[in-house]
Amino acid sequence: MIAQERTAAAWAPGTPAPRRSAGRVARQVRAQARAILAVLVILAFVIPIYLTVVNAFKTNPAINSSPGSVPLHPTLGNLSAALRQPGDVLQVGLRNSVIVVACSVALLIPLGSAFSFWITRKRTRPRAVIIAVLAAGLMIPPQITVLPVIRILVHLGLDHSYPGLILSNIGGGYLSFAVFVYVGFLRAIPAEVVEAARIDGASSLRIWWTIIMPLVRPATATVGIFLSLWIWNDFLNPLLIIGPISGQTVTVGLYDSVSSQVQPDYGLQFGFMFLAALIPVAGYLLAQKQFRAGLTVGASR
Amino acid sequence: MGLSAVAGLALVLYAVFLVLPVLLSLETSFTNQNILFPGSKFVGLANYARLLHDSSFFSSIEFTLGLAAGATIAANVIGLCLALLLNRTGLSYRILRTLAFLPQVISGIIVGFVWSWMLSPTGLVNSLLTGTGLVSQPVNWLGEPRLATLSVGVVVSWVLSGFTTVVYLAALQNIPRELYEASSIDGASSRQQFRLITFRMVAPATTISVVISLITVLKLYDIITAMTNGGPGFATRSVAMYIISVGFSDDAYGYASSIAMVLLVLTGVLALSVTAVLRRREVSL
Repeated sequence: MIAQERTAAAWAPGTPAPRRSAGRVARQVRAQARAILAVLVILAFVIPIYLTVVNAFKTNPAINSSPGSVPLHPTLGNLSAALRQPGDVLQVGLRNSVIVVACSVALLIPLGSAFSFWITRKRTRPRAVIIAVLAAGLMIPPQITVLPVIRILVHLGLDHSYPGLILSNIGGGYLSFAVFVYVGFLRAIPAEVVEAARIDGASSLRIWWTIIMPLVRPATATVGIFLSLWIWNDFLNPLLIIGPISGQTVTVGLYDSVSSQVQPDYGLQFGFMFLAALIPVAGYLLAQKQFRAGLTVGASR
Repeated sequence: MGLSAVAGLALVLYAVFLVLPVLLSLETSFTNQNILFPGSKFVGLANYARLLHDSSFFSSIEFTLGLAAGATIAANVIGLCLALLLNRTGLSYRILRTLAFLPQVISGIIVGFVWSWMLSPTGLVNSLLTGTGLVSQPVNWLGEPRLATLSVGVVVSWVLSGFTTVVYLAALQNIPRELYEASSIDGASSRQQFRLITFRMVAPATTISVVISLITVLKLYDIITAMTNGGPGFATRSVAMYIISVGFSDDAYGYASSIAMVLLVLTGVLALSVTAVLRRREVSL
C-alpha cells in the first residue's frame, strides 16, 4: 500500500512543497518500520529451520544448555553419527528417495503432457467428463486409496517394492496435478500451430514431442519441481506400500529412526534432519525462479 | 505407437491406481474384511451403523473440522497480510519472500519433530516464556488435550502460511499499477484502494488458496504424526490418522473403508461448496 501512496504523492499535481518533505520523513519512518516488521515475521517462519541447522553442529550438552545459539564449538559428530546408523538408514533412504522421485517424475511428465495434449484436441462431451474425473484426483485424500492400492499391488506381485510405489505414484493424484497444469498451458497455444504441422504430414506423437513439449517448457518446470518436492516429502505411501522390510525412503527412515529412540539423542536427530532436508532445500533455492513462475501461473488461473 | 496409446496408458494407470481404489474402498465398506484374512462377507450397512456409536470417530471428525476451519482461516489471513507486507521491490524483500516458502519445502516429519522439541516442557518456547517471566512454570503444550490441539493448529497454520503468502504475492504482482494510479488521482485513500482494488483483485487467488488449504488440512497426516502422534490420548487424532490406525493396527479393513468413505464425502462436499461460494463472491465483489 505504501508503495502505491508514494507513487500517488509523486503524481499528485500541485502538492505544496513543504508538506511533501514532511511526508517524506514520515514515509521513511514507515518504510523502516515495515522492513523491521517483515524481518521479524520471516524470522518466525524460519526459526525451526534455523534451529535444525545450528543444532546439527552442536554436541548434546550444548543443545540442552543453549538450544538457540549458533554453534560456538562446531562439531561434525552429529552428521557422522547420522551416517553411521545401523543399516545405513540415511544413505539407503537418500538413494531410495532419489530413485523414486526420478523415476516417478520422469514418467509423470511425458504421460501427463501427452494425455493433456490428446484430451485438449478432443471436442466432444467425454472430454469434460474425463477432465472432471482427473480433477477429482486432486482432492481425494491418499488415506482413502492407499489400502486398496496395496491390495492391487499384491495382485500384480508388486507389493512392498519400489516399482509398486513408483507405479502407484504415476497413476495417483500426482497425475491429476500434472494434467491440471498442462491443460491450462495448452489452452493458450493456438490451434494453427498444430494444424500447420499436421498439413506437413507429421504424426500426433511427433507433433507432441517436437512442437508441443518445447512450447510447454514452463509447465514442465512447474510440474517437475512441485512433484519432485511432494514425492520426496511423501510419508504415508512409502510407509505403508514399502513397509519396514526392504529399506525405506529418507522421509520414512527419518521418522522410524527418531520415533524408535527410547532416550532421545537430539544431536543425532538434528544431524539426520539436516542431511535429509539438504537436497529439497538446495533444489528449491536453485530452482526458485521457475518456482515462482509456476505459482503465478497457478494463481492467475 | 501413437499419441492415443500414450494417453491411453495414462488413463489406464489412473483408472487402476485412483478410480479403482476408490471403488474398492466403497465396496469394502460394506464387508467385514480385514487385511490378514481377505475372505470376507457382505455386512450391508453394519460398518456405517457402527460409526454412529463410535466416539473415537466423532472426536476425530471434530478435531479435523476444527483444525481445517481454524488453520484455513488463519493461514489465509496471515498469508494475505504477509504478502502485502512483502510486496516491495529490492533484494532484501526478495530474500524474505524466498524464506517465507521454506516451511513448505521441508518434510512434514521434520516440521513436526522440530516443533515438538521446541514445545516440550524443557524446550525453547518454555525457556523463553519462563526466562522472560511471562509464565512461572513451564507450559505442557503437547501434554494437555486442549493445548495440544491449539499447538497443532498453530503449527499447521504456520506451514500453510508459507504457501498462501506466495499465492497472494503472485496475485498482488498481477494487479495493474494503473488501477492504483487512476484511483489516487480520483482521490481514493489507501484504505479505499485496499477495499476496492486489492481485495477484489486477489479474489480469484483467494478461492484457490482457501480451497487448497482446506484440502491440505483434511488429508494432513505427517506433521501431526511426528508432532503428537495423535496424543495426548487421542486428542489430536485426525480422521485421516484414524482410518490408517483402524485399517492397519486393528486390521478392521472393512470398518476403515467406511470411515474413508465419510472422509471422501466430507472432503468433496466441503471443497466443492467452498469453491462455489467463493466463486460467487469473486463475481459479486
